[in-house]
Amino acid sequence: MDMITLTIDGNQVTTEAGRTVLQAARSAGIDIPTICAHEDLPDYGACRMCVVEIDGVRGYPTSCTTPAAEGMVVRTQSPALTRLRNDVLELMLSGHPNSCLVCDDREACEAFRPGVTKAGRSTRCGFCSNRDGCMVRDLTHGCQPQELDLPTLYCGFMLERDDPFMVRDLNMCILCGRCWRICEKIHGQPALSITNRGRWAKIGAAFGKSFVDSGCTFCGACIDICPTGTLTDRYARWYGHSDVGWRTACQICPEGCEMQAMVKDNRLTNTQMTAFDREARLCAVGRFAYPQIMYSTRRLRHAMTRENGELIPADWEEAVQSVAGRLQDYKGGRFVAIVSEANTRENLFLYERFAVDVMGGRLGRVPADGGFEDIADEALKSDLQSGAIKAVLVAGDYLDEDVLEKLECVVVADCLPSAATTKADAILPAAILAEVEGTIRTADDEIRDLGKSIPAPGAAQPEWAIVRDLAIAMGGEGFECEAAGNITPAITDDPAPAPLGRSPRDVLKAIPARFRGHLMADSVPALEQIGLPASPKPPAPKLTTGFPILEKGEVVPNFYTLTVKAPAVARHAKPGQFIIVMVTETSERVPFTLVDWDAEAGTIKLVIEEVGRSSGEIATLQAGDMLAHVTGPLGLPLTIEKVGTVALGGGCYGIGAMYPLARAYKEAGNRVIAVVEACSSYTLYMENEMRDLCDEVITVTKDGSRGRKAGVQDVFADLARAGAADQLIAIGCTFMMKMVCDATRELGVPLQVALNPIMVDGTGMCGACRISVGGETKFACVDGPFFDGHQVDWDELASRRSAYKREEIEAIPQTGQHAGNGEATAGLTSLTVGGGVCAEVP
Amino acid sequence: MDFEALKTDAQNAWDEFSRPGRPRVLIGAATCGRAAGALDVLEAFRTQLAEHGLEGEVALTEIGCIGLCYAEPLVEIAGPDGRRVLYQSVKPANVKMLVESHLIKCEPVTKKALAVMEGDALDGVPRFNELPVVAHQVRIVMRNCGVVDPTNIDHYLARGGYGGLSRALSMKPEDVIEEMIASGLRGRGGAGFPTGRKWSFARRAEGDEKYVICNADEGDPGAFMDRSVLEGDPHAMLEGLMIAGYAIGAKTGYVYIRAEYPLAIERLKIALARLKERGLLGSNILGTGFDFEIFIKKGAGAFVCGEETALIASIEGKRGMPRPRPPFPAQSGLFGKPTNINNVETLASVSAIMEKGADWYAKFGTEKSKGTKTFALAGKINHTGLIEVPMGIPLRTIIEEIGGGVPDGKAFKAVQTGGPSGGCIPAQHLDIPVDYEHLAEVGSIMGSGGMVVMDEESCMVDVARYFLSFTESESCGKCTPCRMGTQHLLQMLTDITEGRGRPEDIEKLKRVSEAVAQGSLCGLGQTSPNPVITTLRYFEDEYRAHIERHECPAGVCRELIEFEIDPEKCTGCGVCVVYCPVNAITGDKKQPHVIDTAACIECGSCRSVCRYEAVLVHGRSEPALAE
Repeated sequence: MDMITLTIDGNQVTTEAGRTVLQAARSAGIDIPTICAHEDLPDYGACRMCVVEIDGVRGYPTSCTTPAAEGMVVRTQSPALTRLRNDVLELMLSGHPNSCLVCDDREACEAFRPGVTKAGRSTRCGFCSNRDGCMVRDLTHGCQPQELDLPTLYCGFMLERDDPFMVRDLNMCILCGRCWRICEKIHGQPALSITNRGRWAKIGAAFGKSFVDSGCTFCGACIDICPTGTLTDRYARWYGHSDVGWRTACQICPEGCEMQAMVKDNRLTNTQMTAFDREARLCAVGRFAYPQIMYSTRRLRHAMTRENGELIPADWEEAVQSVAGRLQDYKGGRFVAIVSEANTRENLFLYERFAVDVMGGRLGRVPADGGFEDIADEALKSDLQSGAIKAVLVAGDYLDEDVLEKLECVVVADCLPSAATTKADAILPAAILAEVEGTIRTADDEIRDLGKSIPAPGAAQPEWAIVRDLAIAMGGEGFECEAAGNITPAITDDPAPAPLGRSPRDVLKAIPARFRGHLMADSVPALEQIGLPASPKPPAPKLTTGFPILEKGEVVPNFYTLTVKAPAVARHAKPGQFIIVMVTETSERVPFTLVDWDAEAGTIKLVIEEVGRSSGEIATLQAGDMLAHVTGPLGLPLTIEKVGTVALGGGCYGIGAMYPLARAYKEAGNRVIAVVEACSSYTLYMENEMRDLCDEVITVTKDGSRGRKAGVQDVFADLARAGAADQLIAIGCTFMMKMVCDATRELGVPLQVALNPIMVDGTGMCGACRISVGGETKFACVDGPFFDGHQVDWDELASRRSAYKREEIEAIPQTGQHAGNGEATAGLTSLTVGGGVCAEVP
Repeated sequence: MDFEALKTDAQNAWDEFSRPGRPRVLIGAATCGRAAGALDVLEAFRTQLAEHGLEGEVALTEIGCIGLCYAEPLVEIAGPDGRRVLYQSVKPANVKMLVESHLIKCEPVTKKALAVMEGDALDGVPRFNELPVVAHQVRIVMRNCGVVDPTNIDHYLARGGYGGLSRALSMKPEDVIEEMIASGLRGRGGAGFPTGRKWSFARRAEGDEKYVICNADEGDPGAFMDRSVLEGDPHAMLEGLMIAGYAIGAKTGYVYIRAEYPLAIERLKIALARLKERGLLGSNILGTGFDFEIFIKKGAGAFVCGEETALIASIEGKRGMPRPRPPFPAQSGLFGKPTNINNVETLASVSAIMEKGADWYAKFGTEKSKGTKTFALAGKINHTGLIEVPMGIPLRTIIEEIGGGVPDGKAFKAVQTGGPSGGCIPAQHLDIPVDYEHLAEVGSIMGSGGMVVMDEESCMVDVARYFLSFTESESCGKCTPCRMGTQHLLQMLTDITEGRGRPEDIEKLKRVSEAVAQGSLCGLGQTSPNPVITTLRYFEDEYRAHIERHECPAGVCRELIEFEIDPEKCTGCGVCVVYCPVNAITGDKKQPHVIDTAACIECGSCRSVCRYEAVLVHGRSEPALAE
């Protein structure tokens, strides 16, 4: 290897010929900031952060693209470079929502709500699913470039929701090109590229095609290499960054690809490729299906036995004994065990020993993507069909009703319900995928270790443990083992599984439709979008009556205004009241503040911020669509009296929410000051409406892009200190209202806040909206929503609001089309839990 | 067939074409002529010749552009007496008279005549070479444009064509490169890098396969030099491309041409077919053992694809985005092979240099800028068109004599050279010699040859805004400073022209311009702030008027102006009423008219059509200054 020596910042650096200046610098421990450069990608030179000075070279070359040369003299630091980098970074930030990075309240905000808030389009870091892994954010640490004082040019791209597995928010893209370069590196011809020019330049598939038709195999490399929150995994995006990971192998098909299990709080968030190169690529199910199958709401969690014709939960030992007792009668040729080849070697080994040695029967192996008809043992199949076999231990969805009909004893060891579970005499729930340890043998005859495991849901056990317990209960010998690793050494000549015809890593159509005989698309709804079969679903009920949406628009990114026909609500509404909406007959109940109403026209107006499932559902409705239910007006109206000068402060949805209050206070003869707060100029709305209504409008933004660089709390404190307000009212997120409360506590001006806890019925029955005000328990729905802000227990409110964080995330539909009815809804629809969680609404 | 035999045949064909006494009609039917209606004129000639039974006797030929766009459609008629007269602004209605008078009666139509090309003098009609627009020109690149039938390879051969190639093939490639270095030719695409040296890099680069590329992706707004050459004389460039290929050791050449040039592409295709027929393209050219193929690659209209690395990516089938250099294309270019890229004008000069020798060429121009340069004259100038002048000619000569000055007696304000990457040059620098060094000194660039003239009614802030709107939308988006910086510059310029400028914007424009110039990846980005920098350098007052007083001194920026009709001057002719797109002008016939300022959209149509200068423009009494 030729070596060369160059001087970087006065240090002699010796490096291999052919490396770039950036690589040479890094090898010597000299850090140069960059975003677009990546060790696994070829040179690109787009972000322009890694500029350096080189003697004899004009201008400021990028170190990531300049080959290091013998005798070269490089400087990575100089006043001119600092200035250029700051300017370039500022230019980059000006095209990337950044108000959180320059916000004065950032530390307090992140301390109060350590996790990110979910959103439709992300308008700032606090609402960005990749906040904790963002390289733009990292770059700004230690330098807040604001020399050029540039406005943020928010691009205004629609959120791309239609992709099967990904959500793309191109408004955060800095066009570093990592995504298409990794795609090109792995797949040769990239499925995505930069399209368009100038301000409309964005990444996408050719000619605006859907990624399903673009040649994309959904390996997910683009997501994993994206330095911002632009490209995200629809399922995992809001879980936050994984804290643990280990190398494992995929058990879904016989390719058995190596992959990295990513885990947070003992739950799998996703599985990723082990390296950014072609050999390590995954297929769509390898990259995306694992957690959705594992956390399917249909998972079998409890051991069950049939008593008097009914399946009832049983404790494990009881169930094992019951099964052992039943199977005693079927030893010999009347018994088979049927298992999928997509299983660990340890599981398969014990199944075989149990079926043959303990039961004296046979073992039927089903290929990974197969069903009953694919069992190679023809005799076994015909014995099942003819009724010669009377008892089965079945580990998957392999038996249809005809076969089941002829059986006398059915024992299921599986993870999901099937025809067999309905007929089963006993069900022993099985741990699967990342819940099991052991080894697998690939179709290429390689043995791969699965690494570690995470807990299985409920009472589910690894299959080797299920079989061990059954075998021991039936007097089998040599089954004692504590871990899969105890079994492994005994396995010597296990056969390799049947290979698939084509690799799903190369051909979308080759993705197996089934896992253990179950249609994967039933658990991973996105697979239907790429053409995989799913079980028939009842058609979504079409609303024929309800509350028509007359107008709908996105007023600023992620905020929608709706005008809805609801004559009774409009007739009785008073300032400060709210309604509860159900989008469909089975939707969650979500409270929203009334922003305006017209009793004569019978219409009401709402401002809705998209955060989770229900607000997302509303965001995708159009004028002409219908809401199933609108209940209200609810809550106590705010008492409006003439008090002198009233200052109203609103942020986010609160800008709209304070509108009717401002009008009422004005009509009552008060002087009204409105403080309109937004993170940045591009999220400000209703400023003009407020100006028409109020005596004074003070605009504040967190990044200073319009009005004063401040928050409502700063203005309120100033007003209170100057004796310029007799009443303060704040409506917005919990954090904002808490800040207002803290800032004005000692200033002697009364403060009313509109509280926004989780709410379900809205009529004081369920207690979900319980809060503490002045040490007393109150219900926000009937005692509020307005309370004396200085008496509120904010920490309790924040904690109760985040009680169902995980469930809220899991409730977000996993199909590109917000179709509803996906299985992810099942956990929450009827519900007792998620109501109101989604929206920041009083 | 050997080269001499080819030339003999060609000479015969040319002699027949230009035989005195053989009546003929030449019609300038390049794209510019066609836009002015040349094809209708051609059709009219066809009809008239047929009606007079002359279709067999009078040759009717489409030729390329001779450069006098302001006078299109141009028709040259040679009568039986051998006198050739160039007619200007010919309409189909004029054709009958031209045929009957000039072709049949040998009486040229003096009132439509622009110049006498050859033969006896004509009263009141100057000779072509004496026209002020022509007198200062030296035509090397455009030596055949508007003179030969571009589809006829014999015409090119007869006028010395492929003599340069033939000579080059008899020399060693290194000697060809030496000759090119000696000629002093510098790249005409913009940067002005010495062509011979560029070739020597590609020659010296190791590689079993090398490529030469002709960059015909002419994209500057208002520039059409390359198009005219390709439409009027495609062989001039093709011969140069083959010589370049021979010199560097390439067997394959590409012509990367924008798809918006369909006529040029058609002419190129015909030229390539003729070359093959004559054995001048393919294997063993002229029996010298030199093999060469040429492929045409159509570009899809991205300005940035004129940048050489983006152009290469585009030929490779990738998105046209520049990449940093090094490695330079000479080391690793098309498909990773050593590649040389020259533009159309450079290659058309190469063929002339190889034909006539480096010494001949080096006689033209200045010490550091040799030869000639073509310019596309556009904007507020009388003689819009295409010119070719020796390097070093005073800018004033181009504007005032060749260009005929600013129309309607208005004052010259500035000229933008180098397109959106260039800068504006104000009146105080009109006397600089036009060469690479002097243009750079005043903050502009030679560029590919666009020259847009602005008069007192041009707002320089608006001009900068216009060019920035071009670069902003043509930025490929790859690098941060160019993509974001041009957006901010455009935003600020738009704010200023619409009355929302703030005093700090001037400093901010300078700072952002600096960051974009220093930080951008390719030439497009690095030069994109030039229009801002030069207008600020020379016309900061105009920026300040917009910002501080909300005034547009030139009366251009719509948000800042109002139109009013001077009742003293208005004759009530009613022309403005017809041209007003929003019916904002009313008035009785022969009575002074009035403009309803509330309805007026400040488009300026009335002002431009008024023959009595009765439409006045002034600042708004209450500027609409929306925050």
